[in-house]
Amino acid sequence: MDAVRGETMELEIPSDFRFLGAVDAAVQDVAREYAYPREAIDDLSTALIEACSNAIEHGNRFSPDKRVRVSLSFGEERLVAVVHDEGPGFDFESLPGPDSPPDVTCERGRGLLIMQAFSDILRFEYTPGRGLSVELVKNRPSESDDAPSD
Amino acid sequence: MKITQREVGDVVILDLNGKLQGGPDAETFRDLFKSLVEAGRRKVVVNLENVSWINSTGLGILISGYTSLRKAGGDLVIMRASERIESILYVTKLNLLFKSFENEEEAVRALSENAG
Repeated sequence: MDAVRGETMELEIPSDFRFLGAVDAAVQDVAREYAYPREAIDDLSTALIEACSNAIEHGNRFSPDKRVRVSLSFGEERLVAVVHDEGPGFDFESLPGPDSPPDVTCERGRGLLIMQAFSDILRFEYTPGRGLSVELVKNRPSESDDAPSD
Repeated sequence: MKITQREVGDVVILDLNGKLQGGPDAETFRDLFKSLVEAGRRKVVVNLENVSWINSTGLGILISGYTSLRKAGGDLVIMRASERIESILYVTKLNLLFKSFENEEEAVRALSENAG
């Protein structure tokens, strides 16, 4: 995983959805201090919550003995989040992506789609016996990105 | 997630408060929609005004409620979704499934106009 200049903080949460809000709050609070636009912060947080949800459900399978570690790096140019689980890993390349969304009435299968859509870079890294790492990068929008378009 | 149920005519309004994220919420919602259908309720508005965010499991909860009502001949719409939630619905194409309204009056009127 790439390093990024800036301050880094780490969170460790139980494999329980009730702790997802704490991750959202941390990103929202600190990224605002770095003057990131609200939309960019929301985007990264949305992707990050999805990565943590996957880590809790599909990685750690809600095990009370396993934790999800979240590393957040706040730089001037980009925000980087890395989510580590302690699960057996999975074939993420087989997951449906933006080009093959599930049927609208299907209750599952949108996690990767959300992570891809709301981050600028998405990487997976699996090390046998050490769980899955998901890296999400959100670049600071340039001023031209903020300009109104017709 | 806290859910408050109220009624406007034959339309049930569910005011949600918190985060729609799955886990224990999923079972709560399934039980709620099952009881609504069994009680003959067919028109439901889900008020998302006080929902700060939703993940893919939370989306599945909404879809499950929608499917339950549609199978029973009813309908489910949403209202007052934040820009953040609307963007998630757009990306996942669920904006094609859920009719979304800015206020309660419009949402109730839309359901009342349907045969339901």
